Parts: sequence; C-alpha cells; structure tokens
Amino acid sequence: MPLLVTASATPELANWSNLALYSAMAVYTIAMLLFAAHLAALGPDTEADAAAARAGADDLGDDLADDRADERADALVGAVAGSGAAGRTGGIGSGDGAAGPVRSTLPAADGPRVGSSAADEGSRGSLRARKLGSTGMSMTWLASVLLLASVVLRGLSVARAPWGNMFEFATAGATVAAFAYLLLARRYRWEWLGIFVVGPILLTLGTALLAFYTEAAELMPALKSVWLVIHVTVAILAVGLFIVAFGLGVAYLLKVRRDAAEVGTRSRRLAFLDSLPSATRLERSAYGLNMVGFILWTFTLVAGAIWAQKAWGSYWTWDPKEVWTFVVWVVYAAYMHARATAGWEPRKAMWIAIAAFATVIVNFAIVNVFFVGQHSYSGL
Amino acid sequence: MSTANPPRRDTEIRQPQLGPLGWARWVWRNLTSMRTALFLLLLLSVAAVPGSVFPQRSIDAGRVADYLAANPTVGPWLDRFGFFEVYQSPWFSAVYLLLVISLIGCIIPRTKLHWHALRSRPPRAPRHLERLGTCATAEYAGPPDAALTAAREALRRKRFRVFSHDESSVSAEVGFLRETGNLLFHVAICVVIVGVAVGHLFGWRGDVIVTEGETFASVFSQYDTFDTGVMVDPSVLPPFTIRLDKLDVRFEREVGGAQFGAPRGFTAYTTAVERPGQAPQERIVTVNEPLTLGGADIFLLGNGYSPVVTVRDAAGKVIYQQATPFLAQDNLYKSVGAIKVPSAAPKQLGFSGFFLPTAEPTFVNGPESVFPDLDSPELALSVWEGNLFPGGRPQSVYTLNTAELAPVPRADGKPLAIRLKPGQSYDLPGGRGSISFDGVSRFAGFSVRTDPGKGLTLAAALATLTGLIASLLVRRRRVFVRVEPAPEGDRSAGSTTLVTIGALAKSADPGLAAFVSDLAAQLGTSPTLVAAATRTERT
Ligand code: HEM
Repeated sequence: MPLLVTASATPELANWSNLALYSAMAVYTIAMLLFAAHLAALGPDTEADAAAARAGADDLGDDLADDRADERADALVGAVAGSGAAGRTGGIGSGDGAAGPVRSTLPAADGPRVGSSAADEGSRGSLRARKLGSTGMSMTWLASVLLLASVVLRGLSVARAPWGNMFEFATAGATVAAFAYLLLARRYRWEWLGIFVVGPILLTLGTALLAFYTEAAELMPALKSVWLVIHVTVAILAVGLFIVAFGLGVAYLLKVRRDAAEVGTRSRRLAFLDSLPSATRLERSAYGLNMVGFILWTFTLVAGAIWAQKAWGSYWTWDPKEVWTFVVWVVYAAYMHARATAGWEPRKAMWIAIAAFATVIVNFAIVNVFFVGQHSYSGL
Repeated sequence: MSTANPPRRDTEIRQPQLGPLGWARWVWRNLTSMRTALFLLLLLSVAAVPGSVFPQRSIDAGRVADYLAANPTVGPWLDRFGFFEVYQSPWFSAVYLLLVISLIGCIIPRTKLHWHALRSRPPRAPRHLERLGTCATAEYAGPPDAALTAAREALRRKRFRVFSHDESSVSAEVGFLRETGNLLFHVAICVVIVGVAVGHLFGWRGDVIVTEGETFASVFSQYDTFDTGVMVDPSVLPPFTIRLDKLDVRFEREVGGAQFGAPRGFTAYTTAVERPGQAPQERIVTVNEPLTLGGADIFLLGNGYSPVVTVRDAAGKVIYQQATPFLAQDNLYKSVGAIKVPSAAPKQLGFSGFFLPTAEPTFVNGPESVFPDLDSPELALSVWEGNLFPGGRPQSVYTLNTAELAPVPRADGKPLAIRLKPGQSYDLPGGRGSISFDGVSRFAGFSVRTDPGKGLTLAAALATLTGLIASLLVRRRRVFVRVEPAPEGDRSAGSTTLVTIGALAKSADPGLAAFVSDLAAQLGTSPTLVAAATRTERT
C-alpha cells in the first residue's frame, strides 16, 4: 500500500478534527443532562402511580413494543448470519395480498407489526418525559455526527484508517457505540438507555483527550497492514456492542434488584426503572448484543493471530495484549456458558458479563499503557 | 433457557458404596458437566493473567533476570511457582488439560445424541397442541388431506424436516445446524490445540543479525539463537543463503512530542539463493511481508547499527577490522556492544561501550542518543586488557566478560574512555596501537521460522468461527400441525378443515409466535393465535 507508506500528516485537518471532537463532547454533555431529566420524569411520582404503570393497558403496550423489538433483533441477527435463520425471514417477508385482512385478526402476533406506535409511546411516561427523551436523542444524533466527522477528518489528515493509536481507537470505539445505540434506540425506543450509553461515551472521549492524546502522524511499520483495518475495525465494532450491552446489563441488574425489593422500600431516585421494559426483556437484549459482540471478538482474536503471524512470525506468543484479548474471549465464553447452563440464574450470568466487560476495559486502558509487550502502539 | 446437559443414561448413583468404577464415573460426570466447564473457563482466564503481569522467559529472558535482581526475596519464590513461565507451568497446563478433557467428555456423548437426532424422525404430534408454548388455528378451505399436504409443503419450503405419524397430523423439525455448529465449534477448539502442539513439536526458529553487505547461510551453527521442537533435526535445515544488500529505514521527523523519532519504515533489500546452485534473486523483506525460502519464512524483526572499526597494532598492522553490531537499548537506538581483539599483543584488548546514532554532545547524563537515525553518530568506548575469554566459556558477543580484564589507564591513572566520530582514530597509550571508527553500516535482525501446524490451526480457527455463528444464530424449532374436519355448522361452502399448529423452540425464541401465526395465515382464513410462548394470556 504505497499510499500508506508515503503519506504524512496534514495538521490543519487534524485541528478541525479536534474541534469537531470538542463540539461533540459539548453536545453529548447536553444530551446526557436531557437523558437524566428524562429518567427523572419517567419515574412515577407516587407508588400508586408506579403500581398503575405496571398494571393494565400500559403493560400491554410495553409488551407489544418489546415483541416488536425482539422480532427486529431476530432479523438483525439473521442478517449477521447471512443465512435467514430457519425461516424467520421468510415469515417476515411473506406479506402477500391475502395477508392484509387476515392480520387484523391476529392481535398478539401481528398487531405490533401493523404498527401501534401510539400504544408504545403511551407506555413511556408523560409528555414531558417523552419530549425530554426525544430532544436527548436529537442531541445525541448531532453529537454523534460531529464525532463521526472528527474521526473522518482525522483519517483524512493522516491518509489512513484513523485507528492506529489509543486516542484513535477510543474515539472510533465511542463512535461505533454511539451509532449502534442510536440505531437500536430508534427501533426499540430505548431513550431510557441513553444515559447508560452516552455516559460511558463521554468518559471514553474525555480519557482519550486527557490521557491518550496523540498527534496525528504516520503509523509505525508493524501497523501498516490491511490487517489493521480488518482486525481493529472488528474489535472496535465488538467493543461498541459490548458497551451498549453493558449499559443494558446494568439496567437489568438494577431492575431485578428493584423488582425483588418491597414496594415501600424502593428508592424514589430509581423509580424510572419501573417504566423500563421487563427484566426478562432487558436480559434478552443484553444477551443478544453480547452474543453478536462475542462472535465479532472471536473474529478479532483469529484475525489478530493471522496478523501476528505476518508481522512477528508467530501467531501466538502470549504477549500481554494477546493474553488479555484471550482473557476477554474466555470470560465472555464463560458468560455464554453460564447463560446456557440449566440452573444458573440469568442474574448470576449477567455478573459474568459485567466482569467480561471489565476485562475489556483493562485490556484497553491498562494493558496498552502499563504492560511491556510487542503491542507498543499506544502512541504515548 | 435450555437444559444444556446432555441426558445421560446412568443417572442413579448407588449411594451406599461407590466402587472404584463408581468413583471414576462420578469424577467423569462432574468433570464433563457444564458447571465444571464454566468453572474451568473462569479459572483459565484468571490463570492466564500473571503471564501478562510478570516478565516471561519465553518472551524476554533479560527482563526476568532484571526482575529477579530487583526482587531478591519474592523473585525466587515466584520463579519456583512458574510465574516467569506461566504458559508452560504445571498449574496452567493443568487447567487447560482439564478443560480439554472436559471438552472431549462433552463432545463425545453430544455427538452421539446429535447423530441419532439427525437420523430419527420428528416425534408424534401431542394430543393437545394448544398446551404447547405457541399455538394457532386457521380454517382451510378444502378437505383435511389437502390441508395436510399444504401444511407439509409450506413447512418443507421453510427447510423443515417433515414426517407424518398418522393421517391427521404432521411433525416437523428445523435447525439441526445449531447443534451441528456447536459441536463443530467445540471440536475445532480441540483441533486448534492440536495445531499448536504440532507447531511446538515440529517447528523451529532461528534468529540472526546480518549487516549490510554480509551473506548469511542457513546452517544450524550460523544462527545467533536457535529454538527447536523435539521432533526437529537441526542438521537438515533448508540450505538457503541470503545477502543483505541494503537496509532502508525511516523515522518520524515532522511530528513532535512522543511520536518524534518513532519508526516509520523498514525495508531490507536482499539477494537470496533458495538452494545451492540456483540463480540468485533480488528479494525485498519488510515488516508484515516475510520472505519464504525453502519452506521457512524469513521475517524482518529487528535492526540497528554496526559501526565499522579498525584496530591496528603498534606497528600499524591491522589486527581487527569489522562491522560490529551494537544492540539498541531504547527507542532512540542508544546501542551497546563490544569489540574483542584476541590477537592484540602483549595482552588481549577489549573495547566496550555505546554507539549513538545522534549523540547528545555534552554527555551530561552519560552517553545518550537523541534521534534514532544517523544524524551525528558517535562511539563511546572504554578499553580493557587481559584475558578476553576466561575459562574458554561461551559468552555474549555484545558484552565483555571483565573477570580477567583490567581497564587500560590514561596517563593520569584514571580509566581510559574514548569518543570517536566517523573518520577519527585514537592512539592507545603505552604502545598498544590504535583504534579508528571508519563508518557505520546498518544491520537487519532476521528471524527464520517454520511452523508445520499453522495451517491446521488456521483451518480450525476458521471452523470455530463458522461453528460459533451457526450455534448462536440458527434457531431450533419443532412444529406440529393437526387437521380435523371443521364443525358441521361451518360447512356452508363445501368442506373446510380446522388446522391447529403448535410449536416449540429449544431456547428462548421470541419470533416463534410470529412464525406460527404467519404459517396459520398462509394455510387458511381467520387464523387465531391461541397461545404465544412469551405471553399466555390473550386480550
Ligand atoms: C474450551 C473451552 C470452551 C469454550 C470456549 C466454549 C464455548 C462455548 C460457546 C461460546 C457456546 C455457545 C453458548 C450458547 O449456545 O449460548 C458453548 C455452548 C456449549 N458448550 Fe462450550 N465451550 C468450551 C468448553 C466446553 C466444555 C468443556 C463443555 C462440556 C462440559 C461444553 C459444553 C457446551 C454445551 C453443552 C453447549 C451448548 C449450550 C446450549 O446452547 O444449550 N463447552 N460453548
């Protein structure tokens, strides 16, 4: 790739990229405040309201919305597999003429697809809460577009894929998490998840700027490879999904705890949890994202080994970075097992998923900076 | 959530007395349970961590030695428990061997079960389909046998395996690929381990430093270091030769900060002869682009400087003239090395010290380099005399063994230290001759490697990925269809049939209800969902 070898950095573009990054962070901060207000507004004012919210029509709306969400999740997963999983897609696509009138008689399964968006919006709190939530979403869109622009400008300024050092991995990873969240939130009405995702994103960007900032520059020779694009891109995608799944997992654990507590003793501050989808659904969504993330991470591991073979002559040397990539993989595998093991509560399995996410953080923030190894690309 | 343990036939343990066989069974059953697998996986992840915290001999023996020197109390204990060779240590091996045994113990019964499942028919439709998790009904405009045929075809189109146990029902199954994929995944993990083992037994690697203009012949004795599996005969290495014509390097000059001086490009221009008698070929080796000769891969893994030094005796006769590699110690290529002149008289002479590609001129903090490229090269050496090779023992070419050496003093009695720029020479005191620094060549560090297991490992790793995708994304479903003539009153327009569809999924399958109602809609009019797996009450 001669382009990669000869091109050097264009500092003006890098400055614009940084400006876009600062703006994105400012807008994310606003979005986070809006999401916080949204959650506060979601929490019913009294326990009586809470009880009302859990019962009756609202609950139905919830379930319908979530049914739809699950279906979409299936379609998503099927698309990833590239092989319409066992007739699922056939089922969705078979809307021929006869189906029209037929559907209306199938309220439980087909109702949501026909689209009762009024019903599910009704289930997500007051008008005020809804307004706050949707403004938060708009701000998140704006911030994420700015963030994407920052990544693209950085890429243009160095004439290569902009993920060659820790600062660049962090911003790219945050971008993936942001867009994964935005797209999922649009389908599943996940405004309530906003603070759980935008919070970590802001934290990531702040750390990237303060601790990892690296001047825009050409890559070191070992990184000049198509495998940088393949391996690191997939790793960043995986981490983006793990972040969103982590947010869901935390929400799930909070919700399970709240559901188990006596009604009278529940914290007012976490009242918004009552308006979230059921614990079962939160758990299932987290599992789905972790599962796709795990597949991508498996690919990351394999692609990394292929690259190591090319660059260092050995596909596995137990370099600290390899060790931690492996540890991440094994802990997520343990999570998958825990979830598939009869007799293991999903709650316990979720704790393993949380631990697995902690290893992702260690792998990125600690191993790159403090451990001595061949992966000396932090740029610090 | 599914019951993940494959059912086993020997479910009762006889409580009172377990004979040896009973114990063996008990151990085996526990070892191959999902819980144990889960525990071992978590244990494996914990056991792998120390290898990233402590320096490892297999990666950098020098750092291990430094660590031991710095921690004289804890160090030896850590060493005793294998913390510097974690991945060869008994405890790490124990964890993964147990995991492999557990894995195999898991795979075998599951493969058997799956094999039978693949060849057996879907079971008979239960009597009360509405008791299944998901159920729907529809009216088919036509007689029951036509309805059944339509159902069969609809299911076949969706790649179900279809069988009728009687005249009024159809049983169908889909998604065997899920378990097949899962088995493939677990088997492939075992094969990855086999591939790694093959590489360790049959592979070898040799490292060598080649200075510009030199030729390296691949013979066991010519390698600087050589590591080999137990099954390799080092006398039959591929007999290639490789000459380093030129090494191009480039370092960051434009961007400041931590990036200044970072490596940007290394290219080795070589002339290679694959087998004696073959024509020489010009070949390029760069980072990420190894060269393959005679089945061995040659990687460019290191580089540095070889100052060309000439030592003359008092009469002016050349007694040493060589490009001598100095090893870089830091990112700015402050390099250490030694020049050993055994033929000097009356005593052997040795020089040791630093080569600095861009010397910091004042030496206030000792000899330092401020840039990795050759902007202002300088040699800083101390001079020794005596016996260079005490006891004739092997020693590093980059350091002097000073056990039987004494520093050569200056006129004022202090130890002599000399600094040389290219082209300069220095007359040693006391008629010991002279040393001159003629110029600098670069050297390339090549690593020559073979790994006969890597193809197998790669294939297995890709199989893992394929298996995983199938295992996690394919849905396993069972669908039953039962038909009966519709009640008399409804038969206004010829014969109609009441179709009932029930379905089961192996694991949580939120799309099942939609699938069943779609099928109902396809088969007849006024379909009604009787029960959905995720929600039993209807509104
Ligand atoms: C070498 C380490 C192992 C790894 C990395 C691993 C990984 C996995 C993964 C990723 C899954 C998919 C989980 C799912 O379907 O949700 C799985 C499933 C499974 N594993 Fe393992 N596994 C390992 C060892 C074992 C062992 C030793 C056993 C036997 C005790 C085992 C038994 C199973 C079973 C029965 C399933 C199917 C669960 C189900 O979907 O119902 N695995 N494994």
